[in-house]
Amino acid sequence: MREFSLEELARFDGRDGRPAYIAYGGRVYDVTESFLWQSGRHQALHTAGRDLTAALDKAPHGPELLERFPVVGTLKGE
Amino acid sequence: MAKVAREMVERAGVNVDELLELLVKNAAAELTTYYYYTILRANLIGLEGETIKEIAEVARIEDRNHFEALVPRIYELGGRLPEDMVEFHNLSACRPARLPEDPREVMAILKVLVEAERCAVRGYTQICNMTAGKDHRTYDLALSILHEEIEHESWFSEFLGEGPSGHFMRRGEPSPFVSKFLK
Repeated sequence: MREFSLEELARFDGRDGRPAYIAYGGRVYDVTESFLWQSGRHQALHTAGRDLTAALDKAPHGPELLERFPVVGTLKGE
Repeated sequence: MAKVAREMVERAGVNVDELLELLVKNAAAELTTYYYYTILRANLIGLEGETIKEIAEVARIEDRNHFEALVPRIYELGGRLPEDMVEFHNLSACRPARLPEDPREVMAILKVLVEAERCAVRGYTQICNMTAGKDHRTYDLALSILHEEIEHESWFSEFLGEGPSGHFMRRGEPSPFVSKFLK
């Protein structure tokens, strides 16, 4: 499985037709097809291409919602 | 636009542009859900369908009321709704609900409904968390809507048999919590 650095992850920001990837707990998820991640933005507050592990602690949902998305890699150093 | 009202919210530390985007997205979710409930109503027939028709109708009217209550606050804070209805639909805070493949399969309908209501509960919880102690008017509005969305979730969850019932059908007019914003 592919390993992503934070810099590599940042390229998958969902903008201009690029895929939208996010990291949580050391795993990288592909959220490109999600209605709620259009153009790499989620609920006005979050952007794709980032490690959202800390942000998810404050979100009104848990990591279980990520389980519906494919895992495409892991985050280096995690 | 209420200039001082917006200024007070900004000075309290709320990012008003982010808040406005969330309010518009949730208004879109309310309107798309209202539309879904309207289509749904026509398909709630037969013994099973008629059983949930009345409660679905209350949720339909209340979701429309939520949209109506959100719009003035959006404009007070200096925001606006998109001019294009398609754009509005596509920025919804929740994936717009669709009828299941078999629109007479009531359990599948209920699963769509409960997911829509759960998305709404998450959305208004987020807005309450952002505005608590900072933007009193938006907080009051979001909390009022949240009360009704939680009841909707409970109704449909209980129809799905997910757990013991703590609710009975409400009596009286719809939107007991949000109606104060509609007068």
